[in-house]
Formats: sequence, C-alpha cells, structure tokens
Amino acid sequence: MKTAPGHTWFKLRQDRVGLLGLAIVAVFFLLSLGVLFGWLGQGWSVADGGRWEPASVNHWLGTNLLGQDIFQRAVFSTRTAFEIGLVVSLLSTLLGALLGALAGWYNGKPGQSWVDGSILWLMGVLDSIPFYLFVAAVAYALQGWPWAMHVAMIATFWTTTGRLVRAEVMRIKSREFVLSARTIGLPSPLILFRHVLPNTQHILLVQATIVFVAAIKTEVILSFLGLGVQDGVSWGLMLAESTQEVLAGHFNNFLAASLMLFVLLLGFNLLADALQDAFDPRQASL
Amino acid sequence: MRSILHKTIHGLFLILGVTFISFLLMVWFGPDQTYTLIGKNATASQITEIRHQLGYDQPFTRRYLDYLVELFTLDLGASNSSGEPVSSILKRTLPVSLALMLPGFIIGNLLGIALGLVAAFRRGTWSDRLITGLSVTGMSISFLIIIIALQVLLSTPYGLNLFPARGWQVDGLSSYLAYVTVPTLSLIMVTLGYNTRFYRAVFVEESSREHIRTARAFGASPATLMWRHVLKNSLVPVTTRLMFSIPLVVISGSLLIETYFGIPGIGKVSFDAITSGDQPVLKAVVGLTAVAFVLIQIMADVIYRLVDPRIA
Repeated sequence: MKTAPGHTWFKLRQDRVGLLGLAIVAVFFLLSLGVLFGWLGQGWSVADGGRWEPASVNHWLGTNLLGQDIFQRAVFSTRTAFEIGLVVSLLSTLLGALLGALAGWYNGKPGQSWVDGSILWLMGVLDSIPFYLFVAAVAYALQGWPWAMHVAMIATFWTTTGRLVRAEVMRIKSREFVLSARTIGLPSPLILFRHVLPNTQHILLVQATIVFVAAIKTEVILSFLGLGVQDGVSWGLMLAESTQEVLAGHFNNFLAASLMLFVLLLGFNLLADALQDAFDPRQASL
Repeated sequence: MRSILHKTIHGLFLILGVTFISFLLMVWFGPDQTYTLIGKNATASQITEIRHQLGYDQPFTRRYLDYLVELFTLDLGASNSSGEPVSSILKRTLPVSLALMLPGFIIGNLLGIALGLVAAFRRGTWSDRLITGLSVTGMSISFLIIIIALQVLLSTPYGLNLFPARGWQVDGLSSYLAYVTVPTLSLIMVTLGYNTRFYRAVFVEESSREHIRTARAFGASPATLMWRHVLKNSLVPVTTRLMFSIPLVVISGSLLIETYFGIPGIGKVSFDAITSGDQPVLKAVVGLTAVAFVLIQIMADVIYRLVDPRIA
C-alpha cells in the first residue's frame, strides 16, 4: 500500500541513513554534471606523465601504465556511470511500467487475457537466459555497436519492475475509484494510464534506484570482459586495467576506481532502502 | 498431476522462446560465417557450397528448426577455432565449472540462511542491525573488486601469498583446495550480502505469522521455532531463490571467475567464444543453458509439491 506523498517525505527526512545515501548520490551527481559541462576531469585521456608515477602535486593519485592521470580518470568516470545508470534505469523502468501495466490490466479479462499471457511469457523467457550470456549474444549480434550493453541491460532489467507493476495494477483495478471511472464511461487506456499507473509510482521510484545500482555494477563486469564501454573511460575499464597492475604492485588505479564505485553504490543502496521504507509501511515494519 | 502437465506445457513454450531468442541473436542476426571458414580468396562455387553447408540458403523457419534439432540431439557441430566437437568441449569443461562453483554456492547460501535466521530472530537488536548493515555494505562492493582484492591479499607477495594466483592444475584434494579457495571465498563474499538480506526478509515475514505466535505461546524453544516452524515453512521461497540464482550466480559467476583466474571451465570457454566470435560454441552454450534453466524451473515445481503439501 502507498502512503501519502507528504508523509513519505516526512519519513524520508526522519531516516538519517537514507539522507546520508541521498547526500552521497547528490555529490556524485554534481560531480558528473561538472564533467558534463567540462569543468572537471577533462584531462582524463592526456598522457603527460611517466608510467605508474606515484601520487604527486601534478597527478593527485599518480598515473597509470600510459601515464594518464588516475584522479582525472576516476572523476570523469562518474559521468560514464551516471550516463549508463540513468539511461538504463529510465528506459527499463518505462518499459517495465508499460508492459507490467498492460499485463495487469488485461489479466483475467475474457477474450483479452492473451495480452497478459504473452507478456508473462516474454518475462519468463528473458529471465531464463543467463544474463551475461544474453549480453554476449546481443554484443555478438550487434558487433561493436557501443549501445549493445545498454540494450541488453534494458531488455533484461525491466522484467522485475514489470512483475511488480503487474501485481499492483491487478490490485488497484478492483478499487472503487477505478470502478467509478469505468461506470462514468471513461475509456480503458485513459483509466489505466491516467488513474491506475500513477498509483504505482512508489514501485517505479524504488525499482529505478535498484536498477541504477545493477546497471553500474554490471557495467564493471562487462567492461572487464570487453563487452562494456567501448570508448571513453569508466570505473569498470579502470578496474580491468588494474587487474594486471596489482600483480606488479601498482594499486592506485584499483583503489581509486573501487573506492568511488563503492561509495556511490553504497549511497544508492542506502537511498533505495530508505525510499522503500518511506513508501511502504508494511515493509518498514519487517 | 494435471498441474504438473500444465507446468510442462508452460515450460515447453518457454523453451521455444529462449531457443528462438538465442537463434535470432546468434544465428539469424549473427555475423556471416562464410569468410571465417574459407578465407578471403574463395571461388564462387566454394562460396555457394559453404553457404549451403551453413544453411544460409534455407528459409528462416527451416533454419530455426535445424537449430532446435541440433540442441536436442546435442549434435552441435565443431568449434571454429579448435575444431573440437562442441559436445566434447562441454563434457570436458562442465565438471571443472561445477567443482569450482558448487562449494561457494552452497556455503554462501547456508551462511546466508544462518545469518538471516539470526537477524530475523533478534529483529531490532544490535546484532540484527550489524548483520543488515554488513549486508548492504557487501551489496555495494563489485564482484570484480572482491576478486582483485582477495587475489592480492591471499595469493600475491603483497599479501599472505598462500594460494596460487591463477590457473587450475588439479590432481588431488590438496591441489583442488589450493586452487578453489580464493574463487570460493570471492563467490561467498559477493553473494552473502544479497542472500542474507533476502533470507532475513523471508524469515521475518514467516515469523510474524499467527502460528509462530501460537507456538511461542505454547512454550516452543527458540531452536524449535526457528527450525520446525520458520525454516520449514519458508522452504518454498528458499527453493525458488536457489533455483533462480543458478543462472545468475553459477553461470554468470563462472564466466567472470574463470576468465579472471584462467580456469578452463565452461565460463572461460564461453568467454573465448565471445571474443573470437566462435559461433558454434556460443550458440550451443546460450541455447543449452537457457533450456537447462527452464527444465530446472519445471523440476522446482515438482519439488514444491513434495516439500509443501499446501500447494496442490
């Protein structure tokens, strides 16, 4: 069950750990905006240092194999992370909301329940293909196209959101306000998208933050496997570089990327928990 | 009985779906294999012949049916890069992957269940808060970071240097333990946070039910409560969790762990097939794992009926 928006915000403000998460996310978001507007991290690809220089005034966190500044690269990667996270979480949440709502709406409608059946089938199919292999298959089919990773993530991450929205729509559509909307003769699409779907926004918001975390974590693995970010730099690519360096005792790349990644993910996880608690009193009491 | 039949039909449709998607991606939209196989300077008749062998002159449905037949007869062709039959590659690498992934998968889930039970029963106390806090921390660390950190700490001169840094030269129990320890610890660390959190939520939900309160009122000891009343009644979500984490944890995990540590299992084979564009291997691995997972789901339904008489 959903609580009123004012109450949600009130509960969120009471949750200190959740606010800490929100603050972390906000700081990283500002960093990524700084990179986007060209104020920060612009020297990420300039190789003006020696190989594996230690930290110095010129290179705050030292340099990598090619003599590139690790600090600049770590900061620039914030933008890459937000780009991937936002694109994937927005589109997969949208897709999940749309298909989940349609499935829930047509569930049990005589003559039209095939809509529900096919969407459920699609979710089952997508959930049955092991994820990294699916990405590999998409990357293989799309050969070197830089958005292959995004497409693969969006195509698989929407199913959880879809299932949750479907269940919620099935619950909402028997409520009185939907019945009255139907009685006064509003067309089905209007009822579904204007009156039912907005009532699932609490699910969408929480799922979007969860998918954001999943997208960033997945990017790291895919970039290490060579299926992820094709050009530019990301924490995943930095970690992939560092896998060779740590064996030779150079830890700067590894430490910079993992620390940034860890703090941002922790922030998002804390925020997701706080949102969940604030929206859903039943879960919060667990 | 009828519902098992129903589930099987449902499963068949899922199998059609997953094979169709892997066919679309790997075979239909996949890159043209003609020149990989015969080189650049081929005559027109050679090209027609190889295209015929590959089935490129066949219509869509015919090629999809051929792919299905290949998967079900396990007649999967030979690898483009080594020429070894795909079925023999699978036979060679599958046991390695199982030996590598199973210990971590089992221990990770058992520990998750144990910690989840403790946290659920001491809900709201400092031990619950500690366990949930550590779970969220664990969930925020990337798999790759855990692997690199553990490798540096346990198998390089910069740390304790106790285990071999990479590879898989197993010829007995002691060498098995030497090579499996670091991957197993990584797998446990990366899954424990998610497992604990999930199991805690399941157990909390179950222990807030009426029958638990009744049992407590009748004086059941905490151990009896946990074991007989909470754990046993939560078997269905626990089994679902185990089933669904097989493709996620075991297969995806083996891809990363085996690539990182250079272990010749199914994950390494798939990774090599991805990088070299070895289509026969790739389409076999994707198709077969997806089919295997659907079969596991059908089995899970049968198991539910065995463990839980409430599902009729």
